[in-house]
Amino acid sequence: MLRKRIIFTLIYEDGKFNQSRNFRLQKVGNINWLEKNYKFRDIAFSLDELIVLNASKNGKNIEDFSKVLEKLVKDVFIPVAAGGGIKSLEDAELLFNSGADKLVLNSALYENKVFVEKLIKKYGSQSIIGSIDYKLNCAYINNGLNKINKPLKEYINYIVSLGVGEIYLNSIENDGTGFGYDFGTIKEVAKDITIPLIIAGGAGNASHLQSGLDVHGVNAVATANLFNFIGDGLPSARSGIISNNGNIAQWK
Amino acid sequence: MKLVIIDYGMGNIKSITSAFKYLNVNDITISNKYSEIKSADKLILPGVGSFAKAVEKINKLDLQKILDEIVLENKKPVLGICLGMQLLCNSSEENSSEENSSINGFGYIDAECKRFNIQELKVPHVGFNQVRVNNNSKLYDGFSEENDFYFTHSYRVQSNTSINQSICIYGEEFISSYEVGNIAGTQFHPELSQTNGLKLLKNFLEKF
Repeated sequence: MLRKRIIFTLIYEDGKFNQSRNFRLQKVGNINWLEKNYKFRDIAFSLDELIVLNASKNGKNIEDFSKVLEKLVKDVFIPVAAGGGIKSLEDAELLFNSGADKLVLNSALYENKVFVEKLIKKYGSQSIIGSIDYKLNCAYINNGLNKINKPLKEYINYIVSLGVGEIYLNSIENDGTGFGYDFGTIKEVAKDITIPLIIAGGAGNASHLQSGLDVHGVNAVATANLFNFIGDGLPSARSGIISNNGNIAQWK
Repeated sequence: MKLVIIDYGMGNIKSITSAFKYLNVNDITISNKYSEIKSADKLILPGVGSFAKAVEKINKLDLQKILDEIVLENKKPVLGICLGMQLLCNSSEENSSEENSSINGFGYIDAECKRFNIQELKVPHVGFNQVRVNNNSKLYDGFSEENDFYFTHSYRVQSNTSINQSICIYGEEFISSYEVGNIAGTQFHPELSQTNGLKLLKNFLEKF
């Protein structure tokens, strides 16, 4: 049986990893902080995937980001997706060469359809995650700044039609709150989406992750909450879900 | 041990390289040159992307001729991963057109690649899924009956004959790996499958 997945999302901005709350970033620490508080090579054994997003606003310095990415994923043998500010095939290649296995696209999906199609043609659908940030049934691009004037479902269908391999659906309102996922919207979207769906925004503890995994049509749950899962938070969430017969992978 | 990862411009070579580095392989060469491939102890055929594009690049590099000699005649062990696994088979219907119902691969393994075509099934098939191991396959030495490996693909391999395969279920049974003599392939990505994957790669290094 295909397992569901637990994904940890790291938000990077100008050398630091961040806790996001409703898309306002709070700097938490650099890669050394992350190593110290998350012992990354160990934590990775509690995760199915890692997503690393570059939220740097000053031109989204992709060279620095790729160096941090490379350091971060050394000896981490899980799929890694990276994104944020990918504007050219060279950017894409740089991230793949720095340890990314997939790319996450967001604003480009709306602003540069031709580029997205080029990436899909070169790397295949399965290498591209379409990320959608939403609030009140509308998608937003450019780090939540610009509203797309289309109903959310219509926008999702458009993104799926571009040929991306997965959807990463992130609630701006629930982001970083730790109050749980926006199940109202998620259940509405999950029932007829034809590609894998990753949900994000709001998970603050193991039972939130578990409730997300229980939704039919949800394939993966993501959390970007650096505060709530510190120390052994992720390993114990995973083992708790496994002992409740959660359908997630086990490694020996 | 000299391991050559065959470079035809497509694949997550970085992840594969780091996995083998972690397993202490001292000479990892990424190349498409005849002399390098010939002097390797073992070969990896990686691959991410579309079948047709891969075949186009393989033809440009004359890799079929090189691998015919080294893999078919000299029996050098090769492991195909994901698209690499599919390329070692007869053909794929991916990117096929009205004139060509399928595109030919290396043709070493008697199998074809077809798209998942079950209604209600999400494609691509992404995530960890349980592989029912094949006890006659050295790749799975030391594994229990079912093990989680990471998949991400839209096409899957089918065969009318036995290709000494392991099976996985996604809507239907499909071939998750094969092992015929010196030629092995996995549809899943061992390099992204945590300890299970590292163990399988170690088997490939030590038992082939």
